[in-house]
Amino acid sequence: MQTPKNKKINSLVLIMYFLIIAFAVNPIFGTVCVSIIIVLFINYPKFFIDYILNRTQATNKWRSDSIKNNQPILEEIPVIKVSTPLQASSVLFGQAVTRLEKRKKYLHVALNSTLDEAGEIISQLPPSDRILIEVGTPLIKIYGTEAVSRIRLMAPDGAYIVADNKCADLAACEVEMMASAGANAAICLGVAPIETIDSFVEECQKFNIDSMIDMMNVENALSVLKKLKKLPNVVMLHRGVDETTRSKEKQIPYYQIKQIKGNYDILVAVAGGDTIREIQQAIFNDADIVVVWKSFYQASAETAQLAESFLKEIK
Amino acid sequence: MLNRRLKYLQIAFNRSVSEAEEVIAMLPVSEKVIIEAGTPFVKQHGQNGIRALKDCWSRRLQKPGYIVADLKCMDRGAREVVAVASVGANAATCLGLAPIDTINEFIVGCENAGIDSMIDMMNIEFPFEILQKLKKLPAVVVLHRGVDENERNKEKQISYNQIRQIKRTYGSVLISVAGGETQRDVVRTFFNDSDIAVVWRSFCEASEHTAKLAQDFLKLVK
Repeated sequence: MQTPKNKKINSLVLIMYFLIIAFAVNPIFGTVCVSIIIVLFINYPKFFIDYILNRTQATNKWRSDSIKNNQPILEEIPVIKVSTPLQASSVLFGQAVTRLEKRKKYLHVALNSTLDEAGEIISQLPPSDRILIEVGTPLIKIYGTEAVSRIRLMAPDGAYIVADNKCADLAACEVEMMASAGANAAICLGVAPIETIDSFVEECQKFNIDSMIDMMNVENALSVLKKLKKLPNVVMLHRGVDETTRSKEKQIPYYQIKQIKGNYDILVAVAGGDTIREIQQAIFNDADIVVVWKSFYQASAETAQLAESFLKEIK
Repeated sequence: MLNRRLKYLQIAFNRSVSEAEEVIAMLPVSEKVIIEAGTPFVKQHGQNGIRALKDCWSRRLQKPGYIVADLKCMDRGAREVVAVASVGANAATCLGLAPIDTINEFIVGCENAGIDSMIDMMNIEFPFEILQKLKKLPAVVVLHRGVDENERNKEKQISYNQIRQIKRTYGSVLISVAGGETQRDVVRTFFNDSDIAVVWRSFCEASEHTAKLAQDFLKLVK
């Protein structure tokens, strides 16, 4: 109903413009144009009168409608605004946590053993939008992208799935694979070439998933971040499993959390600790996401309880 | 296991299984050809993909073919090696950028599983620094220019002089060079004394040229 009305107004405006330009070019030409319009008006008065009446009626109608429906015009706009940023996956999975929120603290559970084991652990996790489920690198390398899509099916609707693909090259190819398998986030190595990380972050934005950079074996995470063209969504400070078991001295650089957060507005995740004490330490040092895996390697009677107690620590 | 006196052409597959099978069916029957399951390939198809490549290449050769699983291992060295060795891979790769503990674990894991260990030196300026820190030497050192690097930044080059340096210092390791694509690159690779040349882009799609292309490359591999 609105579009034809707009068209009419536009044509009126166009005629006015035309007349003004005609007068500007040549006053005689202008008067000729005006006389032509007057002649038209006299010859087809019905058309012009209908035209103007229609327009006023239309506007009146619209106004009275809105008053009748008791819908203040101002309130209509926010409704539209909320509905536009909905993402494809959130439409599919109800009100999903498709993207991470700042200010919230998350527990990131990494699944690394087998898909059967993963299913059991997922079924025991308490329902919470603060739990992120990670498909570990070994699972991806053993089962392929099937691991991601099957865990997506096992997980409750709207769960946040992270694919730990540890991308080192061919970022575009891997991001597309993980996104189409149903992941909400993918991971790239901080030691990868800068070109790869740049293209990784770009591709993640294109596919509307979160980008995480795993700073394993990177001495200074800030120096990597400085070189990037675009910032990732999450930076992960990580101590590798082999490192942890072989050399105990290596510590997660907790002091870097505040350094990164002071310089950039991004989320920081900490991986490599597994005890309650280490989780407390990470949260105390202002980490947003705490990654655990050892306690969730095998399903046991305590899995649910453990997750609850971890969640309690992470306020 | 690889023969130290031979030169090899390694063909990497990065896309679907069916495409790889088509191309493999056209390759010349030669022991000098190594089939690699690329990282995206492994991450997409997992163990099943590696098994399919192994079956396909072995059928073509009429004997067990040599398959490399490009794991680009970064952590949990031993576990990933066991997973790919069990489906028939003859070699696996680990990133040189991984923690030293992981590389050590990886090399031991490969020895235990009876496969060759390859260390991928992508994004490392001085491979020597890494090799010095290791407890045991890997079977193969891969000098590698990443695909994303190649596309976005043309100036970076593989320093071919490192091949001879590494061979002089560590006599027993083989050197593989990845990141070149043209015949000229392959010639340059072998001229500089490398043992394996890795190519992939030219073999991405099966076409009537594939067989000829592989033969041309093999001629260079004396």
